Amino acid sequence: MKPRIAFFDMASCEGCQLALLDCEDIFLDLLELVDIVEFREALSETSPRIDIAFIEGSIHREMDADRLRGIRARSRLLVALGACACNGNVQARSNLYSPAGNLGAVYGPGDRDRVQTDPEWWPLWAHTRVRPLRELVRVDYELRGCPMVKEEFLHLLKRLLLGSLPHTAAHAVCVECKQQGNECVFERGETCMGQITWAGCHAICISHGYRCDGCRGLLPDANLAAHRALMRARGLSEETIEDRYRLFCSHEIDRGRP
Amino acid sequence: MDAFLASKRQFLDWLRHTAADTETFFPQPLGEASFQFARVRPDSPLRLEDWDSGTPREAFRASANPVPPGKLLSPPGETLFRFRRDPDGRLEFFPVLDDAPRIIAGIRPCDLHAIHLLDGIQSAGVPDPHYLSRRGHTTLIAHDCLQPCDEHCFCDAVGALRQRQGADLFLTPMEDGLLVEVLSEKGAALVEGAGFSPCGDREARLAWAEGQRARPFGRPLPASPEAIAGILAGSGASPVWREHSERCFSCGTCNLVCPTCYCFDVSDDIDLAAPAEGRRCRTWDGCMLPDFAQVAGGHDFRPGTAARQHHRVARKFQYLPRQMATGSHCVGCGRCGHQCTVDIDIYDIVKDLVERAGP
Repeated sequence: MKPRIAFFDMASCEGCQLALLDCEDIFLDLLELVDIVEFREALSETSPRIDIAFIEGSIHREMDADRLRGIRARSRLLVALGACACNGNVQARSNLYSPAGNLGAVYGPGDRDRVQTDPEWWPLWAHTRVRPLRELVRVDYELRGCPMVKEEFLHLLKRLLLGSLPHTAAHAVCVECKQQGNECVFERGETCMGQITWAGCHAICISHGYRCDGCRGLLPDANLAAHRALMRARGLSEETIEDRYRLFCSHEIDRGRP
Repeated sequence: MDAFLASKRQFLDWLRHTAADTETFFPQPLGEASFQFARVRPDSPLRLEDWDSGTPREAFRASANPVPPGKLLSPPGETLFRFRRDPDGRLEFFPVLDDAPRIIAGIRPCDLHAIHLLDGIQSAGVPDPHYLSRRGHTTLIAHDCLQPCDEHCFCDAVGALRQRQGADLFLTPMEDGLLVEVLSEKGAALVEGAGFSPCGDREARLAWAEGQRARPFGRPLPASPEAIAGILAGSGASPVWREHSERCFSCGTCNLVCPTCYCFDVSDDIDLAAPAEGRRCRTWDGCMLPDFAQVAGGHDFRPGTAARQHHRVARKFQYLPRQMATGSHCVGCGRCGHQCTVDIDIYDIVKDLVERAGP
């Protein structure tokens, strides 16, 4: 029997699932090897047992946490798909503010007050923090990035089909930048988060003339003190530095990781 | 062997002409302030100006070249062999060797020295057929440096400046063009029919060039490479390692841009359409990367950046020179110091060690 795989989305833009559909060149080969049993973007069926669950998005509300625990309970392996599921992504910045304050900033004072007084609306603010999956359930593998990298998804899937997990070295983006033969971003007088960010993206942003903003998350031993000192030495204000770190890595900064 | 004279224009025209038949690489601008050994195309911007005196910023500098020319012999990722499991379960293996002819031109002595050292390493013990196949099919055109590239250079202090061995053609800048010396049969075959003028006064011209060479050449070190090896042997407990690695990111840049680093990691990749087939691949690795010395069970032989920094420097100045009976395996190109975003420079580390070791 072919392995049953399923895709789920929590709080996210569904861009990772879109990136997955971009694997159209190998999709038919893939369907020879696996059965896709749940995939809201493509199917309406559900399945009581799943071999590999891919979950996109971060967890905000208790009802989402319960849904996640339910998926974990019926899945043999659980993979966090993309930056939201792995490290909370940009929405984790909202953890700095009260839920009602956030709601007011986006929808105005009327909705801010109603969400606190109308029981029908309570689920909308009944969360205290944006959380990545690993804070709630055991995660077997994390496919980082905003969005996830399709080659990495395929590599993982091949390994899982062979009965193993891929080894992911804790390399900085600089490793792949050198492999790509790029000029270092600092050489052109700009700053970059490549030294403290998980590799795996083939330095795609730098290869296209931009810098690394850290969407794949901070490395476990990221030398943040040295990086902060370097950003200061390059003339960035404390506020700008904080913004740069918090764009994608807010949750990791708050968790004191590294 | 023969020697010729050519004008710079004549040489570059000949190189473009040769590049039409054989894949040819020459240093070309990369981004805003860097260089890459890129394919020579009919419209490639090839420059020789820096071979004269002075070092204008736009001239090729080894330290500003993140991927040294020798890495063309060991690309960042390559297939070592393909494999297939037949229906009876037997595995078959198919070797993959790159035997495409290539020319690498515009090589400075430091990088030529690095290739010469790698030739020794890749031939010793279990020879590396992938490196040796590319190397055997590659022609090297190197040139002398009469001025250091920039403030990062210390090639003379580690004995790399006078390197000629390994080159097929060796060029020396002259007042009236270039002296083209043929150093191998491969070089002789390549330059045949180039139309360069025979040179009858090679020795006098080499003496003239020597007289033009900057003195001192690049940054000096306060001890010889041999003395440095001795100092390193007793330096394990030195505070230098911690001091020079507190700001290290473990990003591996110093390894990956080093012309004598050659470490790699190996992995298998299977074909999704035919899961019984696949290939074994290798990719660049480096001893400053955090999990380089980690083994099964999670033990790490070199935990922390200080231990890894010690290992990196000892590899260049102590372990490999003794194992291979050569001089320093640091060629003084200045890449690791220049490319490091927090300016950790192997030159500073070694100088610091020597000075603290006392007379």
